[in-house]
Amino acid sequence: MWSIGGRTPFKREVQRFVRRPKNTFMPPAITNVLYFAVFGVVLGGRIDEIAGFPYIQFILPGLIVLGAISNAFENASFSIFHGRWNEYIDEPLTSPLSYTEFVAAYVGASALRGLLVGIIIAGVGRLFAPISVRHGAVLVVTMVVICVLFAGLGMIGGLFARDFDDLTVMNQFILRPLVFFGAVFYSLDVLPDLWRTVSLLNPMVYMVDTVRYGLLGYSDLTPAVSVAVLLGVTAAVLAIDVWLVKRGVGLTD
Amino acid sequence: MPPAIETDRLVKEYGDLRALDEVSLRVEDGEFFGLLGPNGAGKTTFISILVGLVRLSGGSARVFGHDVVDDYREARDAIGIAPQEFNVDRFFPIKEVLMHKAGYHGIPHDEAERRAEEVLQTVGIYEKRDQRFDWLSGGMKRRLLLARALVTDPDLLILDEPTAGVDVELRHDLWEIVSDLNDAGTTVLLTTHYIEEAERLCDRVAILDHGSVVTVETPADLMDRGTDTIYVTLDADLEAPPALDGYVVDSWLDAGRLAVQVEDGGGTAPRLLGDLDAAGYEVVDLEIARTSLEDVFVDLTERTGGVA
Repeated sequence: MWSIGGRTPFKREVQRFVRRPKNTFMPPAITNVLYFAVFGVVLGGRIDEIAGFPYIQFILPGLIVLGAISNAFENASFSIFHGRWNEYIDEPLTSPLSYTEFVAAYVGASALRGLLVGIIIAGVGRLFAPISVRHGAVLVVTMVVICVLFAGLGMIGGLFARDFDDLTVMNQFILRPLVFFGAVFYSLDVLPDLWRTVSLLNPMVYMVDTVRYGLLGYSDLTPAVSVAVLLGVTAAVLAIDVWLVKRGVGLTD
Repeated sequence: MPPAIETDRLVKEYGDLRALDEVSLRVEDGEFFGLLGPNGAGKTTFISILVGLVRLSGGSARVFGHDVVDDYREARDAIGIAPQEFNVDRFFPIKEVLMHKAGYHGIPHDEAERRAEEVLQTVGIYEKRDQRFDWLSGGMKRRLLLARALVTDPDLLILDEPTAGVDVELRHDLWEIVSDLNDAGTTVLLTTHYIEEAERLCDRVAILDHGSVVTVETPADLMDRGTDTIYVTLDADLEAPPALDGYVVDSWLDAGRLAVQVEDGGGTAPRLLGDLDAAGYEVVDLEIARTSLEDVFVDLTERTGGVA
């Protein structure tokens, strides 16, 4: 049973992003219309099928992952940091919330935003190419896990950030390059052996690959292993979140 | 009933700086307690430890018997705090901000809404309930901080400089609201720079300086520590104060008048008049300047090296 005290910061977070669709949901919708139009329709028509799928269909899972984890990360990091910056994070901090409830609220709401953005991107993709989900359970589990994972990482970022530039650096210079080199726009099979091996060090590869398996039924790697590793990493990140909040890192003097 | 606040050798260190140096205080349930001290004395650090915004470095603190570290949820649930800083959620209309705060304390939605409206009426900004914090005037922002502290119906109300920078009308409004709450049984911990405020409202005050408790007394007892000055106009021109032994702390000439510093002006004046009469002086006028709590405060904090 989720207590009223635990539910309230979650509801507050959800209300915050739901009431500002121009800031939260419209940007990824517009960005992905552009991605699909340019990479899928304009350029995709000139690119051969990859692993038996039209290019526009092949890149769809990666774009869903990119949008979902970016938004999950951004929501948690921004919300925590903005609250710290303006000190209104004191409102929940001075309340009788447990440290776990505090983390669950911010991570849960941020993960939900990531999932909603993922669904919006899938809806946009549906306008450009047919979608039929091949492994629904794998898709749902993976999407939930990676959104929770990146919400948890966003929380760490929000706790350690010293100004808004730090948030930009995390998103633009770490997250996006990892996703773009995470086999969103190509199959690992097209890479030379060296770069294929290097790519396997990138955790995004496993996320994109598993979501692609759930959606298209195609995978370069082993989905079960990827899901298991992601679950383990996510649990570790959440434990770190709770520990940091309990220690008051970035929150208390 | 355990005391509302009980700290035992509470310590807070920031690197080499010792902001609180073994502070032991006890505030009884239902008391109106003042925490006075110059800037940097450790007042805000003390109350921030109680609500979990500052981690203590040593000692212990309990709120209604609940340790602020081990039983932090029970301790925080008992406290409503109106801080110095405007640390209010900017994203939502103020009524929703209050409902959120109530919700964090486990109060159901409908009850939270009822309480939010009630406290907004209490502090006089109900008509602004749908506005966001940034659009309120400075005085309204201060009122909202009090409303937020009250919305959870706390047993311990902590007010950190609640009337700093507010006009006289608002100051009196706040005093009245807080006094009524205290009369109804709420324990109040007040930090303030306004000595008059402490003198008027508090049952007891602690003077804090350089992180240490200098004294804990009632305002009346504190004032008794100070000295009064009796100004006497005589019909003779004096070149030096006459010899007055036994009860005089100090004496001097002040613009042609004899100034006599004594511990109890009212009680000493008849004896002084008698002594002057016996010495052949005729007293034309007499005025007693009572010591103020502010004088005592300045004296106590200067004695410990503080800056009042």
